[in-house]
Amino acid sequence: MTTGALYLQQIINGLSLGAMYALLALGFTLVYGILELINFAHFNVFMVASFIGMWALEWLGLSGQNVTLTGFALVSALAFAFVVTMGAAGLLGWLIERLALRPMRAVRGTAAMITTIGVSYILFNAILLGVGADSKNYPNPLPVLSWDIGGATLRLREVLIWCISIVLMIGLHLFVNRTRLGKAMRATAQDAEAARMMGIDVDRVIVTAFFLGSALAGAAALIFGLYYNYTSFIIGYSAGLRAFTAAVLGGIGSVPGAMLGGVIIGLVEALGGQVFAVRWTDVIIFSILVLVLVFAPNGLLGRATPTKS
Amino acid sequence: MTEQQPRQMMGASYVWLRRASPLQWVRPYWHRPLALLAVTAAALLFPIISRNDANIDSAANALAFAALALGLNIVVGFAGLLDLGYAAFFAIGAYTYGAFASFQIEPAWSSFWEPFQWLGLVAHTGDVVHFTVSFWLMLPISAAVAAFFGVLFGAPTLRLKGDYLAIVTLGFGEIVPIVARNGQSVTNGAMGLNGVAAPQLFGWSFGVRAWPYYYVGVALVALLIFTSTRLKSSRIGRAWMAIREDEIAAAAMGINRVKFKLLAFAIGAAFAGATGTYFVAKLQTATPEMFMFPVSVMILVMIVFGGIGSVWGVVLGALILQILQSWILQDLSQWLHALGRLINVQWLQQIELVQSIEMIFGIILVAMMLYRRQGLIPATRPVQALSMAEQTAQVTTGGVPHIERLGVLAAARSSSDEPLLDIKDMTVRFGGLVALRSVDLTVPAHSVVAVIGPNGSGKSTLFNAVTGLVTPDSGTVRFAGDDITRLPPHRVLDRGMARTFQNLRLFPSLTVLENVMIGRHARLSTGAFGALLQLPRTKHEEEAARVQCLEILSIFGNRLIPRVDHVVSSLSYANRRRVEIARALASGPKLLLLDEPTAGMNPAETLELAEQIKNLNQLGLTIVLIEHKLDVVVRLAHKVVVLDHGEKIAEGTPDAVRHDEEVMRAYLGRSAAVA
Repeated sequence: MTTGALYLQQIINGLSLGAMYALLALGFTLVYGILELINFAHFNVFMVASFIGMWALEWLGLSGQNVTLTGFALVSALAFAFVVTMGAAGLLGWLIERLALRPMRAVRGTAAMITTIGVSYILFNAILLGVGADSKNYPNPLPVLSWDIGGATLRLREVLIWCISIVLMIGLHLFVNRTRLGKAMRATAQDAEAARMMGIDVDRVIVTAFFLGSALAGAAALIFGLYYNYTSFIIGYSAGLRAFTAAVLGGIGSVPGAMLGGVIIGLVEALGGQVFAVRWTDVIIFSILVLVLVFAPNGLLGRATPTKS
Repeated sequence: MTEQQPRQMMGASYVWLRRASPLQWVRPYWHRPLALLAVTAAALLFPIISRNDANIDSAANALAFAALALGLNIVVGFAGLLDLGYAAFFAIGAYTYGAFASFQIEPAWSSFWEPFQWLGLVAHTGDVVHFTVSFWLMLPISAAVAAFFGVLFGAPTLRLKGDYLAIVTLGFGEIVPIVARNGQSVTNGAMGLNGVAAPQLFGWSFGVRAWPYYYVGVALVALLIFTSTRLKSSRIGRAWMAIREDEIAAAAMGINRVKFKLLAFAIGAAFAGATGTYFVAKLQTATPEMFMFPVSVMILVMIVFGGIGSVWGVVLGALILQILQSWILQDLSQWLHALGRLINVQWLQQIELVQSIEMIFGIILVAMMLYRRQGLIPATRPVQALSMAEQTAQVTTGGVPHIERLGVLAAARSSSDEPLLDIKDMTVRFGGLVALRSVDLTVPAHSVVAVIGPNGSGKSTLFNAVTGLVTPDSGTVRFAGDDITRLPPHRVLDRGMARTFQNLRLFPSLTVLENVMIGRHARLSTGAFGALLQLPRTKHEEEAARVQCLEILSIFGNRLIPRVDHVVSSLSYANRRRVEIARALASGPKLLLLDEPTAGMNPAETLELAEQIKNLNQLGLTIVLIEHKLDVVVRLAHKVVVLDHGEKIAEGTPDAVRHDEEVMRAYLGRSAAVA
């Protein structure tokens, strides 16, 4: 491959990663926008969802790498997997909010955040103890179909990932901007107290944010599995940190910001791995997080400022 | 007080409780020293009684984690900075010792090393240098290195809100093991350090025996407990707790936030650095896996379990969880296996609880946060509520009983004809909104100036801009002849300008006296070493500050004095306002800015407070107050300034302002002014 093709290939890879990080970042941003809470449980809701997606595909008889589907069968299998994974992940987010976080609503300080760390840790260990420490092969029902673009390979799975992500993001955008509940959500993010006075059921808005954010994490998890063809109990940590960086880079609390930030982080990861060694990718991503927080805390599209004045 | 006055209402049970106490024959004064003695004796005798090397070794590990918990408690418990990457400092301490006392780094021998060889820091083996720096020397050095990194990591993140700090420290906690894994030459990567030297004492090597390490651990934990308790009850500890409770109020009370946060980071990191050296010397190897995220979480669970901010609590929490891990869960698993064989249940025979320790930690963390946030040993014990008789006692209005004794206000008396405060052409904008438009304001020394105006007219913004909480877009502020525009809030207080807040910004979970003592912060000088050593000078300073604060509280008669040890969040609204005024007075200001001091008070209380403010002014204190109650304004003010929509629309004596047409229009509308 020529150098140009190599970079083009990394841009294609980066866009796929970026779509995944954007979906995951939306969960951080939705919850933060309303509660000003960094939800560490989100890291491992993503991880648990990747297993749920795997089990859903296996239930269809697609275990292993050898069974490939085409046409209508492929579309319906993927649709089934996405619906099950997103629904289950959303339910998990809903449960976490109801059981662990709602009682903490009135408590000042870092208590709620510490609780999310505990929840995250429980999910992490539940999978570690229940499934084991070795990584699992992900079902791969996509047919091997690729196009050559200027020397780089564009595979069917990339195109699918992009399409699914775009559909979900448009859906979320329409929900937030065009529905009654979406309007209630925006109002609560601006001023929860005033929203309550105007008759908005703030508890319902919060639980909706958790459900939606977790469901999108479910979609991201399934994309992760289809892209990397494996999953393991440790994937939540690095994917979560990248997605969080994406949310901060885009401006935390901002829905379009999370999408933009996700794509940028995906590209940085793919191209950064090309330019430097892959083992330093974590350090590069994390440096971006610190630099953005310190020098441009509003991010690219954000309004809320993370510094106290 | 509670000793001499048995409660009338619950007298019987009270007496019964006292009689039932097993320590009844010991005076309360001796309870603490005796408990301390018992704990020390148990700690020292344990290896002699146990005689089981594995148990002593587990205990030594538990002590290492107790030391880490104490360090994290300084950062999270005292200063309220959530650090999720604390294990990074543990790693730094471990690798610092590893580098200087192992076979890892071996430069070629040259004459450059001779003086070091003579000092015993290096040895000449073959033709390479072998570092052999003493463990005892490396303990403080590792602590210092870790403290340096604590400041380095802390500095860029200090302006961030608590939750962002958490994620940044999480990232640092991730990066340090990555660097350790990739920096093969110093750390030997994932393989682990080679042959770290065991400590020696007078030529005798500890080797692999457990008990010498145990005693070093006991000494380390004892030192850290001592350090923590001394710091907690000092000026330093109060400053940390103030930052934890309300950063903005802390700054407004003269606390340099950056300095004290960095100090907390540095001291917390130093604890971890020393512990890392101890731990790696004990294991005689170190791998990056020993310092990953789960370790940081475990230490966090320990302090949450024991009681965030409670020194003995976090030690107990760490010891219990370590003992749970190394002893109880193993025994429990054995019992379950036996039970499984007995009743012939297969899965019970295979259960391994030790493997699920991290799961148990997660459950403990969530359960504690939901059901017992204060932990096993709460950091603050609630004081008994006042008795019925005390609550309904005749109110004495106080006033300023011993005018000549209020030495705190000496600074206010200096006489000068210059205006004390001089604001020129001040403009403050928030985005498109102009909160203040070219406002001029002069406050003569020893006068009372009232700032009035409808809600949203910019009164509080004026206070914020003068005290440095908001940066003005243009204009200058001169105070006692000096330009103080754009000074940070703690420097403004230091110059002699103290304030209260419209919506009350007390430190809610601290006591009345602690709140007022924090107000005294800028006038005290005790540093970290002074707090540790408790030299006569420090003790004297602390005692004098206490007396001064009590004197200030006595301005309010018996309203606050019986409640000095109560947590302020348990006080009535009016009393909280009084505490806030007392806190501002404790800084010995020349100028006092009061933002609606009588809000929420009934007419009698309002009158009482107005009288007290007047007395303070007669002592020489210059006062600017924002007030809505016009009778208070008329009673107190020498001059009234009226703001409306961010502009000054009138200024003059209360009488003149009252009849000003512009003012009437602002308050009552156009038609009223015309009529």
